[in-house]
Amino acid sequence: MSLERKHITFWLLIFLVCCIGFTTVLNTAQQVSAVLETKQKVFEAGDTIELNFKLNTPAKTQLFLHASFGSTVLESDTTRYTLPEFVSNKKGIIQYTLLHNSKAIVKGTIQVKANTTKPVQLESYVGPPSIIAGGTDYTMQVVVPTDIYDNTLPDSTAMQLKHQFLESEKEVGLYSKDMIGWLNIFSYRQSGRLLMSSKVRETASKEFSIEVFPSLPEDFQISSQRKHSYADGNQISEFITSVLKDEYGNIVSDGTLVEFKIKDKEGAILQTQSGTVNGQAIGKMLHPDHQDFWEVRAFVPGIAKSNVIQLEYASVLDDFEVQFFNDNREIVVGPLLSFMDQLIPDGAIVALKIKKDKSVETKIKSSSNGVVRFLLKEEFYPSGKYTIKIEALGVQKEFLQTLLK
Amino acid sequence: MTNWNKNIYRSLIISSFLGIVVLILLGIGKTLSYLNTGADRSSMLHLALDKDQAYLPKVIWKDTINPGRPIEKQTLLDIEKDYLNAWYIRQVAYQTNWTSGIDDYYTNSAQQHIFKNLEANKQKDIIVKGTTTNHNLLLDFYSADGQLAVLTDKNVKEYQQIYQKDQLLLETEVQSDYQVMLLLEDGFWRIRHIVKEESQISKDTPQTDGFVKVIGTKIYVDNQEFQIKGINYYPQKSPWDMFGDDFDINVIAKDLDIMKTMSLNTIRIFVQYEDFGKAAVIIEKLQKLRQVLDQAEAKDLKVIVTLFDFYGDYSVLDWTLTHRHVEQIVSVFKNHKSILAWDIKNEPNLDFESRGQENVVAWLREMMLQIKQYDPNHLVTIGWSDIASASILQDEVDFVSFHYYQDIDVFEKAYNGLNAKINKPLVLQEFGVSSNLSLWSPFGVSEKKQAAYHKQFQEMIKTNTIHYLSWTLYDFEEVPTSVVGSLPWRKHKQKYFGFIDKAGNRKKAFEFAGN
Repeated sequence: MSLERKHITFWLLIFLVCCIGFTTVLNTAQQVSAVLETKQKVFEAGDTIELNFKLNTPAKTQLFLHASFGSTVLESDTTRYTLPEFVSNKKGIIQYTLLHNSKAIVKGTIQVKANTTKPVQLESYVGPPSIIAGGTDYTMQVVVPTDIYDNTLPDSTAMQLKHQFLESEKEVGLYSKDMIGWLNIFSYRQSGRLLMSSKVRETASKEFSIEVFPSLPEDFQISSQRKHSYADGNQISEFITSVLKDEYGNIVSDGTLVEFKIKDKEGAILQTQSGTVNGQAIGKMLHPDHQDFWEVRAFVPGIAKSNVIQLEYASVLDDFEVQFFNDNREIVVGPLLSFMDQLIPDGAIVALKIKKDKSVETKIKSSSNGVVRFLLKEEFYPSGKYTIKIEALGVQKEFLQTLLK
Repeated sequence: MTNWNKNIYRSLIISSFLGIVVLILLGIGKTLSYLNTGADRSSMLHLALDKDQAYLPKVIWKDTINPGRPIEKQTLLDIEKDYLNAWYIRQVAYQTNWTSGIDDYYTNSAQQHIFKNLEANKQKDIIVKGTTTNHNLLLDFYSADGQLAVLTDKNVKEYQQIYQKDQLLLETEVQSDYQVMLLLEDGFWRIRHIVKEESQISKDTPQTDGFVKVIGTKIYVDNQEFQIKGINYYPQKSPWDMFGDDFDINVIAKDLDIMKTMSLNTIRIFVQYEDFGKAAVIIEKLQKLRQVLDQAEAKDLKVIVTLFDFYGDYSVLDWTLTHRHVEQIVSVFKNHKSILAWDIKNEPNLDFESRGQENVVAWLREMMLQIKQYDPNHLVTIGWSDIASASILQDEVDFVSFHYYQDIDVFEKAYNGLNAKINKPLVLQEFGVSSNLSLWSPFGVSEKKQAAYHKQFQEMIKTNTIHYLSWTLYDFEEVPTSVVGSLPWRKHKQKYFGFIDKAGNRKKAFEFAGN
């Protein structure tokens, strides 16, 4: 019995000791409290930021930081924490939480501002890179000044934005807002190259350039040039535009496409095109091979048009010879003589139409030394009577009931 | 005998020769095909990227008027997508201390700041599991050439768990404003500057219509004190799949009529996370749910809708997806008169061991705020599986729900113990016993004993005026493996909790289902 009592007393004692032990442990855990001794709440990027806490009892702590680019935890054997550079160099609010045994004991915020004492760095963004003359189109110059730690400078940072165009040079002073300073630069009446730069405090930016292209062309004139007015199907007529300009007198950009539309006397449309060089475009077209009358007009499609010019082409011959050989199976057309009775240059087109009953066949050949020779083979054209029609340079000749043996 | 041995050797040599040849050929083939793999040219267009958004915090564009130039709708979407991706990629980086993907969403100079931070965290073995739950965006500037944008992101709520050497160090929720400059590079809107700013804490609590409310330890519906007398419900033919292909509103309507005859006033039903379409809730499912709720309203029954059934991720990076899920469900029914409460999750304490209690509880706590934000009118509860867990988050829920399958004789004591601790209505959300006496369980409970059990429970309920919902209306033919596992005796037990047997006959317990 007494032994049992001893046991009970022993266990009771142990139990008591345990209780006291646990309560003290619990008590110290609850009692740790701290205050921030560092009075400074606002820092400049680049400063060494030291947060010094005062604890009521010595205890191991950790410091949790939440900043612009992420979170981290600092450890320290003392109660003094030096913030790492990747935190203290970046602008923004930093939230800190002092931890003891995973419990927050102090919370608060400090602020880091951009460094305003060290030299400024500039980033510029310019666009669009090409605009149109005339004052309605514009490009935008955006300047992002930062400190050497890559923090944007605060709102209302003064900056000068400059640009040069032909004789004019301008400077605009403005203040940044929402990280940036920006300016719309409208085009002038002239085309050319616009140069830009900016300056914040002592730091100057690089040079930026954009192209001011001429505006849309206005209506223009065309003229023609040709070696002679004969329809020989051999020479080339040229259609030449006046210098294409926009409404402000800027010569349009090289390569502006001009379309030339030609209407012949039958109402058919011929077309040629050309790009401008120094504002002028030259369209070229082969002479017709028969008497014709052309009306020519040029367009910059959808934008501008020219006047209409008219051209007359005279026939080069009134008649030509046709000779039949070998039972009419060999037909020689020519010599074809041009306007000075010279042999027509090689390549004049001669068409031969053979008609029997209702079937018509057309053979086309081009002249050589003023002559064209057609051979009608027996294998293709059995003996019989055919109607033969020959056309050259706008002249037609017909031979009825020609007998092929 | 020697001949035999010779043949064995021969065949061994030949087969090993063949084997080696096959291996060499395979090796050459693998090497060649490996050398042929590489970046597909089309990947330069970023076409295949981000098919599924993995990060869906609530984003509201408060204002897009800016002095630069009017912004196009498409660009706004692009900026929003890339900005959220930047957050997501950063969360992943801080969770893994790995820089993968950062270069897609941060410009070269901005990356450096993140890299330094990650390097420091890596050295100290710190990981940060974080997410943001909402972003309120204002466009400050959009440049004329469409390559630069500045925006302010107001009241960003960031939740973070900080781990050191796999030990949870701190759980924190921070609200901040950010000003962000983005540049369009290589088809990505990349963050060039991001500056955290002081946030004005605005706590506008959503207004409730007060149709259902809790005052002290009592629940009120339409200003009348309300005692939940209910039952957990699945249709007999489609247990754990109420809104599936077998959904038939006529069957459900008949079942509701039966419940009325049992003098019940509440049912508890289950909405499965995956079945309802996860982050993109399927309209047809919502329509089916509406039909059920409408039927319940017509028959004057209240409904407790249990959400997130069979959900089990809880990871911080998955939060925003579950928030979109819940938003699309509760905001649709926020004015529905039949709903009594949203039960966030059935028995989440069973996931404590596998998913970590801190993860589950943090998810529940945030989910509660989310639901109240989109539906302030209905009550919120959590269906804890036992009395021991019931006090978790007791300050946040509107009423405390718990399940009781333990010894019936100690129920009253346990209940009174809990009641003394908690100053909110208590709801006995599940209880019951399976009449599973059969070959599978020779020592099981007979239907008679089941009736006695419910009788005894009803008496306790009456004397203590307990809110209750019993388990369940029907015996089931089939129980899915996902519910209780594949062990046949467990499945068998789960089939016989009903008041009505498989053939549709009322079991002896039927008369004690309500009072």
